[in-house]
Amino acid sequence: MSIRDWWKGIWPPLGAVVLFLIFWQAATSFFHIEDWILPSPARIVSEASHSYERLIGHTWATLQLTLEGFGIGVVIGLLVAGILHVIPFLRQALYPLLILSQNIPVIALGPLLIIWFGFGILSKLIVIVLVCFFPITVAALGGLAGTDRTMLNYMQMIGASRGQIFWKLELPYSLPAVFSGLRIAATYSIMGAIIAEWISSDQGLGYYMLLQQSAFRTDRMFVAILIVIALSLVMFSLIVLLEHWCIRWQRTNHERQGGR
Amino acid sequence: MKSPNLSTDHKSPVPSSNFANLALSDFPKPDAPFLELRHIRKAFGKGKKQLHVMDNISLTVQEGEFVSIIGPSGSGKSTLLQMIGGVLLPDDGAIMLQGKRINGQRGRAGYMPQQPALFPWRTIEQNVVLARETAGLPQQESLELARVWLDKVSLGEFRQAYPHMLSGGMQQRVAFLRALLGPQSLLCLDEPFSALDAFTRSEMQSWLLRIWEENRRSVVFITHHIEEALLLSDTIYVLSNRPARVLERVEVPFERPRREELVDSPSFIALRRRLTELLREEVSAK
Ligand SMILES: Nc1ncnc2c1ncn2[C@@H]1O[C@H](COP(=O)(O)OP(=O)(O)OP(=O)(O)O)[C@@H](O)[C@H]1O
Ligand SMILES: [Mg+2]
Repeated sequence: MSIRDWWKGIWPPLGAVVLFLIFWQAATSFFHIEDWILPSPARIVSEASHSYERLIGHTWATLQLTLEGFGIGVVIGLLVAGILHVIPFLRQALYPLLILSQNIPVIALGPLLIIWFGFGILSKLIVIVLVCFFPITVAALGGLAGTDRTMLNYMQMIGASRGQIFWKLELPYSLPAVFSGLRIAATYSIMGAIIAEWISSDQGLGYYMLLQQSAFRTDRMFVAILIVIALSLVMFSLIVLLEHWCIRWQRTNHERQGGR
Repeated sequence: MKSPNLSTDHKSPVPSSNFANLALSDFPKPDAPFLELRHIRKAFGKGKKQLHVMDNISLTVQEGEFVSIIGPSGSGKSTLLQMIGGVLLPDDGAIMLQGKRINGQRGRAGYMPQQPALFPWRTIEQNVVLARETAGLPQQESLELARVWLDKVSLGEFRQAYPHMLSGGMQQRVAFLRALLGPQSLLCLDEPFSALDAFTRSEMQSWLLRIWEENRRSVVFITHHIEEALLLSDTIYVLSNRPARVLERVEVPFERPRREELVDSPSFIALRRRLTELLREEVSAK
């Protein structure tokens, strides 16, 4: 992909965003909209430059919580997928329940979690783990079960053990699927962290937003939202990078299609 | 190259069947053929939907013999290989390898499926050593062997490439090396060239002929292609429609080493015509 192609792809959405910001700026001054209802983009930027020092701490707290929750969620999600895959009976018994469990809004469980686990870090981590382990488990189970039949038959014919089939064939085969689950879970985990901080916290962006809400500092809430979006993008990009690193054979495939 | 008895101490995850099935034929004989199928019967499904696929098939493969199996589509040729590989169990009969009954024991034969089934995330040399790696042979030694062989079949420059960078014919060569370098001395090939275009196919036939004549192994080769079978094999078994029986066992009389020109010789053409007739009658009798 050349710079020109890249630019061709990027300028329409970029132009739309710029137009939108100009419209927003113009509308707030034209209609005299009050700052506590909808601050202008310029106002948000200037607020950001004032409060960034205070926000660094909150951002760091949220990021740390997110990474911890995400890490635990990934480990649990992959373990559950692996176990359900290797023990078909368990999969039959639990998979439908797993799907059903997704109809429970996590935020509704928040107060309950606080009763059970207190206001500490545990409740918050559980919220994040709950939102991000599911996409990982489902994606990994799908990937594992979708293993190429011919390759599977080949491994059986040459006498590979169950473990060898899992590690040498099924696991690498499922990696692209696992990563698509990880990408979803990465953005979910930020959402989970914010929700967790709303429910119980004395630091972090979620806490900061609640604080500013009670003071009607809409501009500061916008700043926090922008940071949340940025964090989401960072998490997403990290996963994409990791994916590129892990699935190198697919990348060479793309290069080939690009015509070297 | 390697010793055939490497495979005798191979793991056997599926225990051989219960005592009720034991018969005199289950005990080894000293002068037994390399591979012997005795009175194999197989059906899929139960009750009314039962599909009787194989009816009393017996065949033998001597040490270093190239045996082809041809037969109508759906006559159970792939099923037969799956039973030799231990993935499927015969309903009745015994599969004897070097005089020992191996019903349901996996990993006793090297295998090459119709699709190359190379692992896309492994480089070519890593693919070639897969069967050895699975059998727990030392990796360094296997990789060296793979290098030697890839050079020998002029794929040396692709050692570090990934399968998708190779043409279909090259992928099949890699798949064949993977089977050849495995620890098993019996090779089962299931229509390995049928997905290739006609030109590549005949190229691959000569290639396989050359490699095999230099490294004789016991081979069970399944094909629909009569000329291919005649060119490559020592013995051809012709199977009937389902439920399959052995219609005829043909010993191919041509001297080795064989060359492609053989296909134009009168005796080759006569034999090909006879087999074509035999199969045509069988297929139209359905
Ligand atoms: N696992 C299975 N369960 C049920 N039926 C099966 C199974 N495997 C094969 N069959 C049936 O058994 C018959 C023989 O199949 P098989 O694949 O062995 O034929 P084949 O001789 O290899 O055919 P082809 O030449 O087209 O490859 C087919 O009718 C097939 O539908
Ligand atoms: Mg078949």
